[in-house]
Amino acid sequence: MDHRAQTDQRHKNRISGPAAVKLCLAVLLFLGAFLVIMGVRGKSLYDESGFTSESSFDSIYRLTRDTDKAYSEKLLPAIRNLTEEERAGVSTVWEDLYQDAWQTDAPETGEEYVAKVLFASYLTAGPKLSSAEKKQITAVSDEELESQLLRCITDESHALPASLESLVSGLTGIERQAMLTQLLMTRAGSAVTDINDHVTQFKKSVRGSEQQHTAVNMIASGKVNGFSRLFLGNGSTIILIGCLLMLDVLLLALMMAAGRNWAFSVKWILILLIIDFLAVFLILPLVHIVVKALFPEGGFSLSTLERLFTYPLNLEAVKNTVIASLATMVLGTAIAFPLAFLIGRTNLYGRKFFRSLFVISYMVPPYVGAMAWLRLMNPNVGAVNQWLRTLFGLSDAPGPLNVYSLPGLIWVLTSFYFPYAFITISRAMEKMDPTLEDASRVSGASPLKTVFRIDLPLMTPSLLAGALLVFVSAASCYGIPSIVGKPGNVNTITTRIVEYTSLGQQGLTDATALSVLLMALALLILLISDVVLAKKQYITVSGKSVKPTLVHLRRFRWPLTILVSLFAIVVIGLPFATILLTSFKTDVGKSVLASGNFTLANWTTVFNRNETLHCLKNSLVYATAAALIGIVIAIVMNYLQQRTQLKGRSIPTFLITLGSGTPSVVIALGLIMTMRGNYGINIYGTAYIMIVAYLVKYLMMGMRTVSSSMSQVHASLEESSQIAGAGWFRTMRRITGPLIFPSIAAGWFLIFIPSFYELSMTTLLYSGSTKTIGFELYEYWTFTSQPMSCAMAMGILLFIVLINSLLGRVTKGKFSI
Amino acid sequence: MGSVTLKHLVKSFGESTVVNDLDEVIRDGEFVTLLGPSGCGKTTILRMIAGFEKPTSGEIWFDDVLICGGKTFVPPEKRGIGMVFQSYAVWPHMTVYDNVAYPLTIKKVSKEETKSRVRQALSLMHLEKYAERLPSQLSGGQQQRVALARALVAEPQLLLLDEPLSNLDAKLRESMRFEIKRLQKALGITVIYVTHDQTEAMAMSDRIFVLNRGGLQQAGTPEEVYNKPANPFVADFLGKVEFFKGEAEPGRIVLPELSGESIAYAGDLRGKVYVAVRPENLLFSADGELYGTLEAQYYMGDVDDCRVRIGETLVRVITDGYAYKSMTAGQEVRLSVRDYIIYEDDGSLEETLEIRT
Repeated sequence: MDHRAQTDQRHKNRISGPAAVKLCLAVLLFLGAFLVIMGVRGKSLYDESGFTSESSFDSIYRLTRDTDKAYSEKLLPAIRNLTEEERAGVSTVWEDLYQDAWQTDAPETGEEYVAKVLFASYLTAGPKLSSAEKKQITAVSDEELESQLLRCITDESHALPASLESLVSGLTGIERQAMLTQLLMTRAGSAVTDINDHVTQFKKSVRGSEQQHTAVNMIASGKVNGFSRLFLGNGSTIILIGCLLMLDVLLLALMMAAGRNWAFSVKWILILLIIDFLAVFLILPLVHIVVKALFPEGGFSLSTLERLFTYPLNLEAVKNTVIASLATMVLGTAIAFPLAFLIGRTNLYGRKFFRSLFVISYMVPPYVGAMAWLRLMNPNVGAVNQWLRTLFGLSDAPGPLNVYSLPGLIWVLTSFYFPYAFITISRAMEKMDPTLEDASRVSGASPLKTVFRIDLPLMTPSLLAGALLVFVSAASCYGIPSIVGKPGNVNTITTRIVEYTSLGQQGLTDATALSVLLMALALLILLISDVVLAKKQYITVSGKSVKPTLVHLRRFRWPLTILVSLFAIVVIGLPFATILLTSFKTDVGKSVLASGNFTLANWTTVFNRNETLHCLKNSLVYATAAALIGIVIAIVMNYLQQRTQLKGRSIPTFLITLGSGTPSVVIALGLIMTMRGNYGINIYGTAYIMIVAYLVKYLMMGMRTVSSSMSQVHASLEESSQIAGAGWFRTMRRITGPLIFPSIAAGWFLIFIPSFYELSMTTLLYSGSTKTIGFELYEYWTFTSQPMSCAMAMGILLFIVLINSLLGRVTKGKFSI
Repeated sequence: MGSVTLKHLVKSFGESTVVNDLDEVIRDGEFVTLLGPSGCGKTTILRMIAGFEKPTSGEIWFDDVLICGGKTFVPPEKRGIGMVFQSYAVWPHMTVYDNVAYPLTIKKVSKEETKSRVRQALSLMHLEKYAERLPSQLSGGQQQRVALARALVAEPQLLLLDEPLSNLDAKLRESMRFEIKRLQKALGITVIYVTHDQTEAMAMSDRIFVLNRGGLQQAGTPEEVYNKPANPFVADFLGKVEFFKGEAEPGRIVLPELSGESIAYAGDLRGKVYVAVRPENLLFSADGELYGTLEAQYYMGDVDDCRVRIGETLVRVITDGYAYKSMTAGQEVRLSVRDYIIYEDDGSLEETLEIRT
């Protein structure tokens, strides 16, 4: 049935036979190649001219097409009136003028260039005519005037009409010749008034430029025609489109050949569009960065890397990054596994509460945690340090704990990233068939032994996946090291990258080299966790859904519950309380209860500032847009992936995974370097670049959520609806849609949230008008006022909670992350 | 150890009682099947015996040792039993050999002995050549045999089987049935088997416990529960049966639904009754007491499944496959009743049978 339905579907979408499709593909391939060639031509013309504005090109085009012709028409009769000798004389004068203007050779020689050379000298060499002079020359009504002027140019003694004599009086030699040329051309041009605008514009862009010669040459030689004009100004864009077209056609041909099915379907277009999007906004920037780092001056050279890694600060940063990430990974996983087990598989008190608590902490912006720990463990005024000093009767400041250190960084990273491992491991635990444990118990193994002999080995893939996720996230985190590490001179790769990007062109190159290193690190780990572990992924989902048997903790139930509560208080309660209290303080050093220290001013000030509100609006708009586009892509891709047999449907999924695995700063840097027009797209400094960056980084979140719920909607549910007479659209609306709606809401939310408070990418991509709330908060923290930024952080958290509960209501409680 | 004694076993989850006062003894070396529709509590009983569920009240004894009851609760790993699960529960990260060796490794049996006993268990299940494979490389039936080998390797006296065959295909299921039965006889162990498949239960068991809604309906040999079902539910759950309303009189039962025909009766019941007749106990016979018309017949190869109209009622008759050739639909027939079961009509029949559907 399934197969039949698909065949029918194919028939419906079929345009024509295989031969026609192949022909179509070939034609499109050639079109792509043609576009690339024309784009390259246009681009080289553009580069040759050295112009930076497209309107100059427009002028060149119009001048060569209309103006040149018009002037020639007007001038040629006058030139014909001259004798052979006179004509040669004029030509020599103009060549002299031309050469005099550029100290260079005349473009070409020969009869037909006389008018053009004349025109060129007019455009570039002549003195400026005042409007009175222009009026005067155009007012003369004399058929023979042009010829007369021409003769005057070669022969100074030749008489001019009295009315014009005043215009050249006092001028001699070359100056007189140039002036006469200007008059001649102005008169000729006055007949075609609409052209004068172009002439003026062209003269503006040519004057004072070193490229005058080339520009005029282009006119004189007629290199620019109506056709190439199409490719001139936007050569890069056309190359890009051509390349994409070729890529698409080749991919399509490959996929069709692999599937031995040459019928065309709209679904291909969807897949290719998504591939195109990621090719432009992910692959291109990454490749660009790698090329820039390894080929700094065109040729292969490791000089940039060498320079970078002989600089002790960078070596230190690499060392710090590796140590901090490894320690966070080990610590985070060591916390997450027992926690996931206690919460998921034992009769611990308040399991459900703890579960949602740790999951929610996943949605907190990393820098908020960093801010809180800074307040808590500041060596001098940190609350924890003050308590410890009182408790152990230690001498006054500083210490004993110092957050501005590598251990401090590790602690803050761990407290923020352990939920990543917790969620991964919890999910795997929930999916495991509990009879695997029962079988071990019956075989004589105690619960503890079962954990070590059965659960742990079975969990190893997810455990490793979770651990590697923590490693990559910690290594590519910018928010925490920039707030906690940098003030204590604990640099990481990410903070170095961001620093380098503000250091000019050389800095940018250095930043790319560091990015390549970070990217290699991240992608290597992505590869390990995806390829190697995928093979070891045990299918442990049982056919029958059995409720897992809970391990009875018996006498350890209370102690363990207290332990977990304490942990929750330390990693969640304490930081939140700190942020909340700080937001009401006037003097951060004093207790909030101290007289006169309590204030609401921070809140009112921050949320009354237009700038804050503007940033808030920006964040809302960008995050909403990214989440909307992202969730649509996620739905479409998952549908194609799970409900069709199309070859190549997993390419976009692979690219999306790649995007989520690439460190934020690397994505942002890549976008900065490739989206400023050099590859045909210029969105630098706009809102689009932010949205694109968020999409590339967080699309995966939506994909994963929708994927798991769609795989639970068996195709037969849709098929029964179709059997019942409902069309595809109706089936989607009545059956599939409602079933996966909660996960769509969750997926949307999971893209929205990190985009909303994003900092790492925003730091590199924002411009004056596109500042977001995350960056605004960071600026407040660093430059303005800590209590105010705490108020802002609380505002963000409240907003997240609000959206969370709103979605919970919309999906009738089925919404979960 | 070999016998299991269940004393007033009760298990409730909140308000609902899943097992209600079960009081039975499973004797040493006996093959007992817990049979019943889904939700009847059979798996819960098995899991209580295994130690995965704690009874709400009551006691479980293995021979004369209290395993569970009062303050005593022996955890599963200390009960020394073997168990096979519906989902096989073969550990995917271990080879077949390691799976089977696991119970011995836990018991710290010496390496040599482990080796020889695992080999033995594997050869018993015809799995020798798969020893080094991973479960993912085995078929469902092979995985199930690994699970059995693992359950038997420690030589338990009690083997618990939780619907072990329900995930296998029909052919394999049938052959595994006899293999399990053969093993049980060869090893002389006690087996408690959970299933909802009555043929499986009939083929393997020494005794069947028929359960419904947490209560034991009947415990008896397959022959007893089939031929002398204690109540309409048991009669209905095992095999095919048709119920007719009747009026018991001295010497006969009048069946108003079968156009007032009557059948011979020697018992003491009087008044309203139900007569339960299995379709294979209605025989076409020239001097049968029931008169009817053959309305349809469905040829099944081994049997001929017929519908005979008697008065307003369609009656199902199963006869041997050869009868198909000699009869045609529309033909007048006479039926004799070879055997039947009679129950008092207390008006609860429909409710009792509801569980079937």
